[in-house]
Amino acid sequence: MARRKWGKSWRLKPRPEAPPIAVVDTVKNTVRIVACDSHATSHGIKIDQTLSDARALVPDLECTQNRPEEMKALLASICEWCGRYTPLVALCGTDGLFLDISGCTHLFGGEAPLIADLEHRLKAQGFSARAAIADTPGAAWAMARYGRFAIIAPGRQREALRDLPLAALRLNEGLVSDLAQLGFKTVGCLIDVPRAPLARRFGQDLLRLFDRAMGDDDEVLSPLMPVAELTSEKRFSEPIVHEDDILGTIDRLATSMLPLLQRRGLGVRRCEIKLFRVDGQVFRLAVNASAPVRAPKRISALFRERLAALHDDLDAGFGFDVLRLDILHAEAFDEAQASFDAPRNHEDEQRVLIDRLGARLGTDRIRQFGFADTHIPERSFDLLPVLQASSRTGSSLRGTMPASVLMSEETAHGLTRPLLLLRQPEPVEAIAPVPDGPPIRFRWRKALYETRHSEGPERIACEWWRDGRGAYSRDYFQVEDMAGHRFWLFRHGLYERETDAPRWYMHGLFP
Amino acid sequence: MSSQRRIADLSGIVRAHAPVSGRAPLGAEVVDRLLGGGLVRGALHEVRCDHAREIAAASGFLIGLIERLHASSGRVVWVVDPATSFDAGTLFPQGLAQIGFDPARLVHVLPHDLATALWAADEAVKCRGLAAVVLQIRGNPARLDLTATRRLMLRAQENGGFACVLRQSAEAQASAAVTRWHVRAESSAPPGALWTPPAPRWRVTLEKNREGRTGEWSLAWNSECKVFEHAPEIRSETRSAENSGPRLYPSAERPGGAAQMGQVVAFEAAS
Repeated sequence: MARRKWGKSWRLKPRPEAPPIAVVDTVKNTVRIVACDSHATSHGIKIDQTLSDARALVPDLECTQNRPEEMKALLASICEWCGRYTPLVALCGTDGLFLDISGCTHLFGGEAPLIADLEHRLKAQGFSARAAIADTPGAAWAMARYGRFAIIAPGRQREALRDLPLAALRLNEGLVSDLAQLGFKTVGCLIDVPRAPLARRFGQDLLRLFDRAMGDDDEVLSPLMPVAELTSEKRFSEPIVHEDDILGTIDRLATSMLPLLQRRGLGVRRCEIKLFRVDGQVFRLAVNASAPVRAPKRISALFRERLAALHDDLDAGFGFDVLRLDILHAEAFDEAQASFDAPRNHEDEQRVLIDRLGARLGTDRIRQFGFADTHIPERSFDLLPVLQASSRTGSSLRGTMPASVLMSEETAHGLTRPLLLLRQPEPVEAIAPVPDGPPIRFRWRKALYETRHSEGPERIACEWWRDGRGAYSRDYFQVEDMAGHRFWLFRHGLYERETDAPRWYMHGLFP
Repeated sequence: MSSQRRIADLSGIVRAHAPVSGRAPLGAEVVDRLLGGGLVRGALHEVRCDHAREIAAASGFLIGLIERLHASSGRVVWVVDPATSFDAGTLFPQGLAQIGFDPARLVHVLPHDLATALWAADEAVKCRGLAAVVLQIRGNPARLDLTATRRLMLRAQENGGFACVLRQSAEAQASAAVTRWHVRAESSAPPGALWTPPAPRWRVTLEKNREGRTGEWSLAWNSECKVFEHAPEIRSETRSAENSGPRLYPSAERPGGAAQMGQVVAFEAAS
């Protein structure tokens, strides 16, 4: 918000003369302060104060409307950025993040350097943040908000939290004030009290939160982003900008993962790169492979297409300082040795083509037919993305065409189904004998056609279990006009039995 | 088994899986004779039609050509320019199956614009093992000029693959293609005759043939044997009523130039 107002250099200029800032929102029918800066606090402005009271204290208070959606998006983007420290990042309420840094600290030289780095980088982006490290999320939460130390040594939660107020246990306000009336003011008071009466008086929640903070009960974090099966990353002291550098790095990362994949017998189906730009923006690019792949060249070739498709959308700015390659989905890799006798059908080459096209155009633009067992023509098939068609076996659409629609004996010569089906049946103006004759003359897309030959009707009833009662059946006619065009038309609704004025539709074209 | 016999077997296998080259006969004798034995496999071809309503005829003819290549295992990559899909509809699997084409072989590529469509077609032609690559476009876009078609042609020649541009609502245009076919619908039976749904049939004009003469025929498709056949001429009264007299060609060897593009279907209101 501040950045929008004073430009990018707003942090550099000290602005003691500027008025304090507050964020306001309507709470209980009154405009109240939701958040304010330290400058405002020093003037005596408090959170939850009404705006009129605050204005009385500081007449030139700067107010901004609270926009929770934007705040949430901002927090999510910070969450994504925190992926540079650990893949396990979870949101915590509306104003916090949990980072599970088990096993990650040595990459940054320990816990203290990690915290320093995190706080420094966030400050450089214009966020003031407090961070704490502890064995349990609850203890870290308490320390970050109410504590004095940033790091609690392993197993020392009880000592560290002893002096903190009860609100540090993530209790709600009512519970805190109830406990305060009974003389429980700090976390330390609860440690030595018998548990059973506490549970009876205040409910299980209190004890559960207490146990979670102390590490006696497990707390499961749900990370915002899916955790990759394998991850490899590269940090740069000098940010990289050029596409070739990025691709070269991807190639090296993929090569470094190769032994791991080989040992596990896996191949990559879906992987993603994350590009951390120096100013905090994170770009994610994912590619899919139609079959498990392992060769680093093929993986980087897919990303080459993906980057080429982006053109200028990938704004490198001042460069990327971290590049991470995540393997999101891996499958068993079929180690096949090409035999001399086996027919070479270039299957592998075709797969590479489909993967490349998918990486460049988007996977949903490479389609294959999927079939459903129904007689309604437009429902009997769909175009499914090739790269997902294999994993969708559970749906109603299947990989093979049902036998009911295949050519039967008596139609061996002539066609009964058109070659092209219009996306949607298009209404035509038709003159046809009642009750069930073929159209004699019809107008489709402004052109007039006269029927010379016709065949029909072929009745296709509606699917009442889907369309409900009262849906019309269709009478299909194959019609040839004077010039030899053959069309597939239908009358929507049976004359008099279903409707008095049935409409005609054009649905397909014959070769 | 003697080693000689084994070598003979192996060389037979090698020959069987060698890159298919040469020609694919269509089945209709007159056409095959003009083409010098059949359609060239490793080359670019072109099929066009005048109107959107004839795109089914043109697609059907093209699928017939692909079937004649006898590459029954390979996939067919069908790159569709978004401009066409608006009024052409989509290929219908049941209809494809009735013609004798396995719809599971078809891979649709639906790019955002013509430039990416061309790129995709280029990439697909480079790939070996595909039965055919089809680029379906609308009209005569400037982007698909002689250079672009020449590139497709060269790629197809390198790999021995079959590439085809399917032009909908298009005029005849110079391109690097080996052949250009103009497909029109044709009446299947004289008026008043008993009519049953016929096999696919077209009035096909070979407008361009790099290696021989051109010509115009009525062809029908036999779905069972998967061959083209010469269809018996149907005497059409309306055709002769529309054009009083037979069509006169300016040259003895080539069919007449393209008819005026488009069709006036409705006049503006006279006010």
